[in-house]
Amino acid sequence: MTERFIYVTYIRTTAEKLWQALTDAEFTRAYWFGMSQECEWKPGASWKLLFEDGRVADAGEVVECDPPKRLVLKWRNEFMPELKAEGYSHCVMEIEPADGMVKLTVTHSIDREGSVFIEKVSGGWPKVLSSLKSLLETGAALPRT
Amino acid sequence: MTDRFIYVTYIRTTPEKLWQALTETAFTRAYWWGMFLESDWKKGSRWSMKFADGRPNTSGEVLESEPPHRLVLDWNKVSSPELTAEGPARATFEIEEAGGMVKLTVTHEAGPKLLAGVSDGWPKILASLKSFVETGEPLPFVPLQAC
Repeated sequence: MTERFIYVTYIRTTAEKLWQALTDAEFTRAYWFGMSQECEWKPGASWKLLFEDGRVADAGEVVECDPPKRLVLKWRNEFMPELKAEGYSHCVMEIEPADGMVKLTVTHSIDREGSVFIEKVSGGWPKVLSSLKSLLETGAALPRT
Repeated sequence: MTDRFIYVTYIRTTPEKLWQALTETAFTRAYWWGMFLESDWKKGSRWSMKFADGRPNTSGEVLESEPPHRLVLDWNKVSSPELTAEGPARATFEIEEAGGMVKLTVTHEAGPKLLAGVSDGWPKILASLKSFVETGEPLPFVPLQAC
């Protein structure tokens, strides 16, 4: 039984700028509430999401990387034992250009019934992606909560 | 009314301004996918969503109204007999202050076909609402037309 969270948003930007925002370490820090990513962004490369103090929050590897359209990450929580125990999830980010904007679809899934990990990311993604949209459209990310 | 679509977004604004953007006809015209809303938004009143040419899309009763925090709407998609045949549907808007921004949660309970439609529509309308409130400019969606 696959548990899945899907979030769609539309952002006034280009696919290239959104790709950069999703993959650039410094850019990530601005909207991902101080977290940053460490990755070479090619299939098979290791991927890490780091807290501001350098601790690893989540980690995994790049499964697919097709800039500026599609990114698939194998993704596991590393700092909460009960979430780490659920194993690897898959996160698919799809970017589709539309007239004067782009559609971003994030689909995060795990093969585990009643997944607490998916419950957690269901709360996190709307915050992160709302902040990303604000940053790209207004130049300022949302305040941290 | 068994299925449910939930969408959460965070907007840099106040609950009062977001309530105004959701309920004042002139504001809704700016971002609601080429349509607009009309009502006095009192509990028990009628509300309607209309295409730009005035033809109705959806209407119903205001089931709950607590400005600027909570609005529950009975949702009768009058433009589509096939969808109204699925039975009653409702949309709930919850607005919470969240430290310099506002959390907006839209929960739509509906039959499967209507739910598929609103699952496509809400991200468009709410992304455009967020852009409109934060930048003054909605997103450039092609207006939905009556058919």
